[in-house]
Amino acid sequence: MAITRLGPNQDITAAKIAGTINFKNLIINGDMSIAQRGTSQASVGTSFTYFTVDRFKLGGSGSSGARFTMSQDTDVPTGQGFAKSLKMDVTTADGSLGASDAIQIVQRIEGQNLQYLKKGTSNAESLTLSFWVKSNKTGTYIAELRDTDNSRTISKAYTIDSASTWEKKTLTFEGDTTGTFNNDNGESLRLLHWLYAGTDYTSGTLATSWESLTAANRAVGQVNLADSTDNNWWITGIQLEADTSASDFEFLPYDVNLMRCQRYYQKTYNLNDAPASSTFTGHLDISGFSDGSSNLLFAIPFKVRMRTTPTVTYYTSGGTSGQWYAGRNGSGGNATATSYSGRTAESNLSTYVNLGASWTGGFVAGHYTVDAEL
Amino acid sequence: MIQSVEKIYMPNDNTVFIYKMTTTDGIVSDVPHDTANRHYQEILEWVENGGIIVDNGA
Repeated sequence: MAITRLGPNQDITAAKIAGTINFKNLIINGDMSIAQRGTSQASVGTSFTYFTVDRFKLGGSGSSGARFTMSQDTDVPTGQGFAKSLKMDVTTADGSLGASDAIQIVQRIEGQNLQYLKKGTSNAESLTLSFWVKSNKTGTYIAELRDTDNSRTISKAYTIDSASTWEKKTLTFEGDTTGTFNNDNGESLRLLHWLYAGTDYTSGTLATSWESLTAANRAVGQVNLADSTDNNWWITGIQLEADTSASDFEFLPYDVNLMRCQRYYQKTYNLNDAPASSTFTGHLDISGFSDGSSNLLFAIPFKVRMRTTPTVTYYTSGGTSGQWYAGRNGSGGNATATSYSGRTAESNLSTYVNLGASWTGGFVAGHYTVDAEL
Repeated sequence: MIQSVEKIYMPNDNTVFIYKMTTTDGIVSDVPHDTANRHYQEILEWVENGGIIVDNGA
C-alpha cells in the first residue's frame, strides 16, 4: 500500500484512509478464524450456547429432535481470502417441526459499540449485512436483526439459489428511528441467521421493516435445513456495517481478531487444545504460602480486559473441572479451586485452593477458562 | 444445562460469595453474583423454573 503524506492544510478524509482498517465491521470474528472452545461439537441442538467458533452462539427454542455437528471448517469460497467457515451438518433429521422449534446462528453485540448508529433518532444509520453462504438445501433463509433493549426486530429473506455453491449475499436494513441502544456493556443488538423455524415464527408476515417484536413475523418463509441428514450449511465473511451498501470484508490480523474475542472468552490452553484436554501444555504452576486458613491464594491478570466479571472453570491437567493439582509438604493431589468473589473482576482472576492444614510452602497447578460472553 | 448450584462463601469474608454451578455434562464452574454475567442470568432463570440453590452458610 502506498503511503501518502498529508499537507499541513489537508484533512484526513474517508478517501485518504481507504484501504486501512477502521473496524467498520460490527461482527467480531466474522471470518470464523478463532475457535477457542474447540473446532467441532457433535449432537448440538438441545442446549443453546457457545460450542465452537468464538462469538457465534447456537440459538434456538423448542424441543426438536434435530441434531447437528457444529464445526469450524476449511471449506471456503475460492479466491476471497477466507481460510475458515462455520459449518452446520445435520446428523439427526426432523421433518416435522413443532411450533416453537427454532435454530439460529447468533452473534450478540454490546450497546456501547453501537452508539454511532444513532438508533432512535431521525439520523439513524442503515446497516448492511454481507456474508458468504453455501448449502445443498436451496430456498429461502432469514437473517434477522433484533434490538434487545427495546424489543424490536427486522428480518430480511435471502435465497440460496444453487446447491452446494458458495454465494455472496447482501442485505440492507434501514435505520430505526425508534428506540435507542443502551450505552453499556450489555447486549443491545443481535444478529440471527435462521436454519429452521416452527410456525410460532413463520405464521405471520415477515417484518421487513423495524417493528415491535412479534414472534410470528420473525422467520416467515424459512426452509427447514434439518429435514434431511444429507443437509449441510456453511457461512463465513459475515460483515455488518453502517452503510447502505456492502464494502469488501475487513480482514483483521489474527492477533487482533483473537484479542477482540478474548474480551469474551480466554483460556490457558494452546489455541489448538480444547478446554478439558488432558495436557500440561499451557498449564500454570504457582507457588505460595498459606493465608492462615490453609488456602493458597493467587491472582492472574487477564490477557485483555473482559466484558464483565467472568465465569471461571478450573481444570486439572488431566481434564477434571473444578479442581487444580495442589502440593504441600512433599505430597499432593487434586483439590477444589474457587474464584475469589470481589477480587476476580474484569481485569484479573483471583483464586484460592485449600491445601489442608499445617503447611508453610506449597504449589498449585492447572488450567482455567474464563467466559464473559453475552 | 444446569444440574445444581451451591453458594460458596469466601474464606475470611463471609459477606461475599460465588455460585458453584455444575452442568448436566459434569462441568463445574464458578459464577459471580453479577447481573451482566450470562451464567448468573441462567441461574436466575433456573431458580424461576424451580431450581434450588444449596446454601450451607458461611
